[in-house]
Amino acid sequence: MAGDRGHEAAGPGDQGTAPTGFTALDQEFDARSLYALRAAVAAHAAKAGLSRQAVYDVTAAAHELAANAVVHGAGQGRVRLWTDDRFLYCQVTDGGSANGSTPWPAEQGHGLWLVDQVASDLSIEHGSTGTTITARFALEPA
Amino acid sequence: MAADASARVTDLTAEVHACLTFGEAEELFDLTAAFARDGLAAGLKVIWLSDGGPALAAELAKRGIPAESAMAAGQLTTARPEGRLLSGQAFCADAAVGWLAGQVESASREGFPGLRVAMDMRWALRPVAGVEELPRFEEGIAAALSGSTAAVLCQYDRDRFDPVTLASVAGAHTLSVAAATYHAGPLLRICRQYAPPGIRIAGELDWQSEEPLALALAEAVRFDGDVMVNMSALAFTDARCTRMIADAARAIASSHAVTLRCLPEVAPGFARLGLTGVPGIRLVAADGR
Repeated sequence: MAGDRGHEAAGPGDQGTAPTGFTALDQEFDARSLYALRAAVAAHAAKAGLSRQAVYDVTAAAHELAANAVVHGAGQGRVRLWTDDRFLYCQVTDGGSANGSTPWPAEQGHGLWLVDQVASDLSIEHGSTGTTITARFALEPA
Repeated sequence: MAADASARVTDLTAEVHACLTFGEAEELFDLTAAFARDGLAAGLKVIWLSDGGPALAAELAKRGIPAESAMAAGQLTTARPEGRLLSGQAFCADAAVGWLAGQVESASREGFPGLRVAMDMRWALRPVAGVEELPRFEEGIAAALSGSTAAVLCQYDRDRFDPVTLASVAGAHTLSVAAATYHAGPLLRICRQYAPPGIRIAGELDWQSEEPLALALAEAVRFDGDVMVNMSALAFTDARCTRMIADAARAIASSHAVTLRCLPEVAPGFARLGLTGVPGIRLVAADGR
């Protein structure tokens, strides 16, 4: 689990990059493994001390982002979760499509609306290796 | 008569000896509540034998059955099988058939136009002497019901009874009863709910199950009367399915009241789609069932 050093590695300005060495969860997914992904995300979010509602919201957000990658992107991808002292970060990368087609249409909704509703904020990056979305959730005071 | 005919629990009539196999308590309670509700509404006497004790009446009441007043009026009895089907922890097929025949007679004597008896057979999973007479009891029920206005609903837990036992008793029943099921898988179950009427969605729901969900919702929209979408055991629903359910709720609400019952953490998903304060739509966020 990330501690203070995680915060240094991933401040608000560079939330698109998972801090090496401080990732609580790093799991690949495809259409058949979304259930396992949700279970893993929920377990890690609960361990980070989030409320029952916040655990559900983080899980729902991770699912929507992963489902976008499955349906509109490469068909599979990777979810990373990490925390610093203020936020839990949930990052989904679709790994790019094998045939070099355009990145999945993150701007068009497809559950992104829901992620936007439940997350503190959201960043989207389209790169040569695929699309990366990072949602940030405020950790509640202990 | 062979038990290859299947029926809805709401279609049962007199002289029927039906077999209900259930996979979870919710299914048992729902179908039994519908069986009891329709019986009570028709003025029949209703008896439910199960190990549950006083909790049985509470389960019926939770599903809209006026259990307390029906019990006070002598129209409804919920009881353990001991002293009825069982003598202590011993079972005798002839004695059990005799008990049933006695109930048919006394219901008639008390002026009831008929009798409905639901029997949860899980007692037969316990170390009960004489349990090997179970198939003979099931066969004997036909004789007790012959010419009467009584119906019997035998209830078997399909996960706990072995297939040989289930097969050996199946032939004695005139009908099999189960919840109409739209989808049944390890992660998700979508089926009809009978008391109160509606559909039940349990497990985890995402766009990959859109087809059975659409089918179930389309049927719910066509129900004649108020509808419950019971999601008490739905641990997850994605944005797409939440919207499908919300759209169906709005469609139902144009003609009937609809209740969406879900876990507290699921409810905000419906609230975000504007379902709070909509006339005809009741969003109930509650833990448990």
